[in-house]
Amino acid sequence: MTRFRKPLLLAAVLALILVCFFAPFLWIVSNSFKPQLGIFSDVTPISWRTFLPLDPVAENYRSLFARTNILHALLNTAIVAAGQVALTLLLCSMAAYALTRITFRGAKAVFVLILLTFLLPVEALLVPLYQVVSGLGLSNTLTGIMIPWIASPFGLFLLKQAFEELPRDLEDAARIDGAGHVRIFVSVILPNVKVPLLTLGLVTFLFSWNSFLWPLVIAQSPDAQVIQVAIAQQGSPTQLPNWGETFAGATVATLPLILLFLLLQKYFTQGMAMSGIKG
Amino acid sequence: MTAIDAQGTVAAARARRTPRQKRDARVAYAFLAPFLFLLLLFQYVPLAMMAKNAFMDYSLLNPDAAKFVGLLNFSDMLYFDDARESLAATFLFALGVVAIVIPLGFVLALFLDSKLPARGIVRTIIMLPVVTSAVVVATMWNFLLDPSNGLINGVVTAMGLPRQPFLTSPDQALVMIAVMTAWQQVGFAAILFLGGLQGVPKELAEAARIDGATARQVLWNITIPLLSRTTLFVVVIMTVFSLQAFAPAFLMTDGGPQDSTNLIVYHIYKTAFVMQNAGYASALSVLLLVIVLGISLLQMWLLRARWNY
Repeated sequence: MTRFRKPLLLAAVLALILVCFFAPFLWIVSNSFKPQLGIFSDVTPISWRTFLPLDPVAENYRSLFARTNILHALLNTAIVAAGQVALTLLLCSMAAYALTRITFRGAKAVFVLILLTFLLPVEALLVPLYQVVSGLGLSNTLTGIMIPWIASPFGLFLLKQAFEELPRDLEDAARIDGAGHVRIFVSVILPNVKVPLLTLGLVTFLFSWNSFLWPLVIAQSPDAQVIQVAIAQQGSPTQLPNWGETFAGATVATLPLILLFLLLQKYFTQGMAMSGIKG
Repeated sequence: MTAIDAQGTVAAARARRTPRQKRDARVAYAFLAPFLFLLLLFQYVPLAMMAKNAFMDYSLLNPDAAKFVGLLNFSDMLYFDDARESLAATFLFALGVVAIVIPLGFVLALFLDSKLPARGIVRTIIMLPVVTSAVVVATMWNFLLDPSNGLINGVVTAMGLPRQPFLTSPDQALVMIAVMTAWQQVGFAAILFLGGLQGVPKELAEAARIDGATARQVLWNITIPLLSRTTLFVVVIMTVFSLQAFAPAFLMTDGGPQDSTNLIVYHIYKTAFVMQNAGYASALSVLLLVIVLGISLLQMWLLRARWNY
């Protein structure tokens, strides 16, 4: 597009984007290194002091880890996210293998059954899902937080598409050598879909790490608390918040994802674009 | 060949299923079993329960004491104002998000699709809010919008304007959470638009330019019409996403002031888990489900024809 030909206009637009999208992050992170009064006095008038901690203090982080449940919550979140990623990849790839590499009666019916759940808005199922999971005795457990999302229709579709693109010759040679379905799945198909697996793994990790409403209702006990719920409790504006400590919490909760995103941006973006299909 | 013959052949083929085919079917179902089991347990069972519970009066503390009340929950929805007001706020919120996200996301996608410098940095920066959780974004904006010490009021006063109440004002609260949600989602919309733009054949625009069309004419008469499928798709995604928003109401406004931000999912949450009126919450959930399914089906119907250019 030739619309931004004038370099000055371009620079102005870039600066505006930078300010709108980046400044809030900078404000949060730099204020997490300031004492409460410093945060307030640096807001007016706005200057570079607003966005830079001139005398950085680690006090907010020290009290965050000493006073709150955050370390435990981070550990819980990491376990839930890792478990959810591993099981989602396993179950979705097995199901995708059956639907793309084996001809069997009923395949179409199974596919329609999965396709229909694609349109269901998950938040609408909150109340009955709570009853199912707590009925199984899984409330206040890490298993209860992750288990409803493992059979992911989005994951299945993403992998099914990838599996369909693999040529038949790939497994024919292995079959002539006498390999069964399990061997073909593990040593022929899976090594050829590493990128789709990585993409699905990243998107699943993102959703799991950031999920809030479901953990909020199913796991309220401090033992099973995940990071988003811990942050939400801390940041409520009605209870005279400690700004610096809240900002430190938000920083800690977000940093692992941002780092992962910066490292693997291409796959993240691809995965997000495909997750749009789910809607 | 007659129809009877054809049927006979199919039946014969069925009867002649080889041991190999039978074994294959067994393997296929073994591969599918864990996925299908969890899918039935966590999608279809809750769906059936929800349909049943919408006709019940019960609390989550004691679900066994549920009482069948027929259509009472649905008539309550019509009789009392809460459902209508909550839906109105939710739709207004969704409309606000879509109205900001579509034009901004499109312009950003045009920028990302160009050959201009700093594209990489801009793409990274607009994706930061997308990967940040709704909780952190809501927490961040809570403080950005703080009436006395917030950054945005700092900017407002620096421009010589009076301080704004933002989240404590019934007129501004819904607008502010819509702006916040749009801020978070616009990068996602830009990525989706970018995918659409990259599917538009470049020859069309080039041919038009050779014929003397201006850049503006190319944009309005070629690029935008060609992206109508993508645009509809992004509108639907953003609408469905906004209809299910929860964190802003929970973390920033408690649905207020004066219920002006009582988004439907927050209303369902409070009805079921705080007020312990799970039957009514189920009826509200059915309503939300029907609305979202309706929008998705409408989208599929509108996209049924492939508009090829």
